Amino acid sequence: MSTAMNFGNKTFRPRPPDKGAFPLDHFGECKSFKETYMRCLKDNRFDNSRCRAESKTYLQCRMDRQLMAKEPFEKLGFKDLLEEPAEKHEAKS
Amino acid sequence: MRNIFLCDNNIFTQQTNILLYLKIGCTCRYPQNLSQVKHTCLKGHFTCNSRIMLLPFLLRGCTAKHYVQLSSTRLCINCCNIRELATSGGQLFFRRTPQRFLNQSRGAKTHKRKPQEDDWRKRNKTVLTYIAAAGVGMIGLSYAAVPLYRLYCQATGLGGTAVAGHNTDQVETMKPIRERIIKVTFNADTHASIQWNFRPQQSEIYVVPGETALAFYKARNPTDKPVIGISTYNVVPFEAGQYFNKIQCFCFEEQRLNPHEEVDMPVFFYIDPEFDDDPRMARVDTITLSYTFFEAKEGQQLPLPGYS
Repeated sequence: MSTAMNFGNKTFRPRPPDKGAFPLDHFGECKSFKETYMRCLKDNRFDNSRCRAESKTYLQCRMDRQLMAKEPFEKLGFKDLLEEPAEKHEAKS
Repeated sequence: MRNIFLCDNNIFTQQTNILLYLKIGCTCRYPQNLSQVKHTCLKGHFTCNSRIMLLPFLLRGCTAKHYVQLSSTRLCINCCNIRELATSGGQLFFRRTPQRFLNQSRGAKTHKRKPQEDDWRKRNKTVLTYIAAAGVGMIGLSYAAVPLYRLYCQATGLGGTAVAGHNTDQVETMKPIRERIIKVTFNADTHASIQWNFRPQQSEIYVVPGETALAFYKARNPTDKPVIGISTYNVVPFEAGQYFNKIQCFCFEEQRLNPHEEVDMPVFFYIDPEFDDDPRMARVDTITLSYTFFEAKEGQQLPLPGYS
């Protein structure tokens, strides 16, 4: 952490997360989703923008198994992913 | 004018004697018949009515015979001036103010200065008292400020870190800034006493500000005993830390790992879109997120950062 002897500088103040801590996935219930996500990252040279759908499914898995508080995905920043299916529906119909 | 005055009760028509009676409480009057008074070199002597109060005066003033040069027109003035001699004894029984009025012509300045100086001194004293009270008040305020600030932080929820707090609703509305690509590298550390194997599952991730991202760490407990760990994090460079917002992670809470257990620990975060507007961050392309795990003892109460 702050191992350097810089007394004059401002120290780093860690902030608690907005929605708290993830409960541990002791039973590996969402491990497969995680593997999918990691594979996607490796394939896309670790570009997060391309693997957002996979991260969304992982979070969905967590919510389903009580490993995360249920929240609408707009609040988690996945609004663009939710709008796409709606657009596709409109385009089809 | 209630002091001793000279009054002429009896004016004899004789040429050589003018009998002037000195009586307490008399007012000075001109003689009734001026024509009857012959002027210059008249002898006069004072007598006074003796009252018991005025015994010393009686002894002093009345027995002395005083030769006064009187003129007809100035009779009253002179008789009034005799007050100067007479009141020296009478001041024991009367107010002192007449003395001041008498000597007014001589010592006017010193007597005017005294009440003024007293006035100034009084005013200075009050001003000094006010200033001293203000000083003491300031010292007291500075001591009281510590608990008061703590109360204020509890009331407003700032928790001691008066940073321009990021808005949690912003996650919904923020727009990703596609032009600015930032590399986030991950680092994992453990304290010496904890025997976990703790490492990130990806070495880096490329994100843009305004977009949420997910990253994973892995922790393994190789020992035969359950171990409780608690972690904290650090962001380098220091100024970028205020833009690094975690929605959810595994830090600051006790995490228990059973013997020989391995878990995935996700971190869900985003970088504030205002990162792009900050001129100090113009040349920052890499942010390093570093987690450190410590061992937590059973029943140990660790203080949460930012909340005292």
